Amino acid sequence: MKLFVLGLLVCASVQAVLLGPVSLGGIRPDLFLLLVFLLSPRVSPEAATIQGFLVGLCQDALSGGPLGLRAFTYSVIGCATAWLSHDLLTEKPLAQFWLLLAGAAGAGVVTLALLVFFLGFSPLLPALGVVVPEALYTAVVGFLLLRVPQVRAALMRAI
Amino acid sequence: MSIVWRLLSRYRRVLILALALLVAFVLMTLQVRHDRAALSFARQAILFVVSPFIKVTAVTAGSLGRVWHDYVDLRALREENQRLQQESAILQRRISQLEEHALETQRLQGLLAMRETSRANYLAARIVGKDATNWFKTLLIDRGSQAGLRRNFPVVAPDGLVGRVIEVTPYTAKVQLITDPVSASGGLLQRTRVTGIVSGNLGAGLKVRYLPLLADVAVGDEVVTSGMGGVFPKGIPVGRVVAVERKSGALFQEAVLQPKVDLGRLEEVLILMEAEQRDGFEAGSRPQP
Repeated sequence: MKLFVLGLLVCASVQAVLLGPVSLGGIRPDLFLLLVFLLSPRVSPEAATIQGFLVGLCQDALSGGPLGLRAFTYSVIGCATAWLSHDLLTEKPLAQFWLLLAGAAGAGVVTLALLVFFLGFSPLLPALGVVVPEALYTAVVGFLLLRVPQVRAALMRAI
Repeated sequence: MSIVWRLLSRYRRVLILALALLVAFVLMTLQVRHDRAALSFARQAILFVVSPFIKVTAVTAGSLGRVWHDYVDLRALREENQRLQQESAILQRRISQLEEHALETQRLQGLLAMRETSRANYLAARIVGKDATNWFKTLLIDRGSQAGLRRNFPVVAPDGLVGRVIEVTPYTAKVQLITDPVSASGGLLQRTRVTGIVSGNLGAGLKVRYLPLLADVAVGDEVVTSGMGGVFPKGIPVGRVVAVERKSGALFQEAVLQPKVDLGRLEEVLILMEAEQRDGFEAGSRPQP
């Protein structure tokens, strides 16, 4: 619970304040989604669903979109990640990257589908302009975050 | 009873997911139907809890950024001898501080000049955060209802229109930029007096829609707010036409705009306060000095 609240506050602060300089063409990695990815395998699917919902709700409150947009998406992502956690656990770096990319793209597609349904967004332009680059950027950052413990251990061994 | 309980236990995973999705779906539906009162409270409550952390992070990041720049400067000067290095570091730090102050003064002078040349009442605010998603374009500013802000107050910069206030907490407020995909405001082509709707467009900047097909619209035309809609006063510069799109079979033409304000580099903004707004702008033209 403490980890969840701390992670949520850190994500909110970093996403809103610090990611501006690292945005590529206006696209920033989605740290809230990475938080859901990283926390969900540690808990039951029920808890992961609720965690995903709360993370999404917080992101919705900090964005200009309708409240519930990301809550919907992250509930699905949290539940699916926790449900499939045993199948998703892998040490192969390339597999980790592809899984993150697939999850981020899936989250983007669900969000886009809701935006098309509720706000009448055109589906093609956002798909190319937001979903794909956001999924790629988020997957790369998530992959690097997952590598941090290994890099640290390797450095410690070398020292 | 025991059967119901057993069924609930058995399918609780699916039930919880379905409940979460249902709640999220209902929340979105309520907002689309403009039933905002309860949801606005929920949104403001979350924003109220999270925004202090964002403000603290913004202040800390600013301080750390300055320390980091000092560190980088020092590293560059380390090759020189000790005395010159220390002297240079001090001078460098002073120069960068003075440059920062000069730039800030320049920006604030711009804001002040705008305040002084109009009779409208402005409130200056600093930007402390940006939208948490890549789907929408909003900013978080460090002024809220305690400073007199309310929803729908127009937000401007010295060069032109920035957006409008959409959420207010006691000490922060959220500003919807004109480039946000769900933003829409009345626009007026200054040269030909043709009106249209200026709206954001995900991944494609700013557009003026619903321009009559036979209207004279050309690249380079200046677009200002039309004053229609009751949110933005008439005459605030919005952007310049950079392309005109006439699709075959369409009833209207569209113009792509380059915003007057560089929205990606904003650090401070001015909020046009309601009471004075009537005095300053309702005549239908920009305020005179």
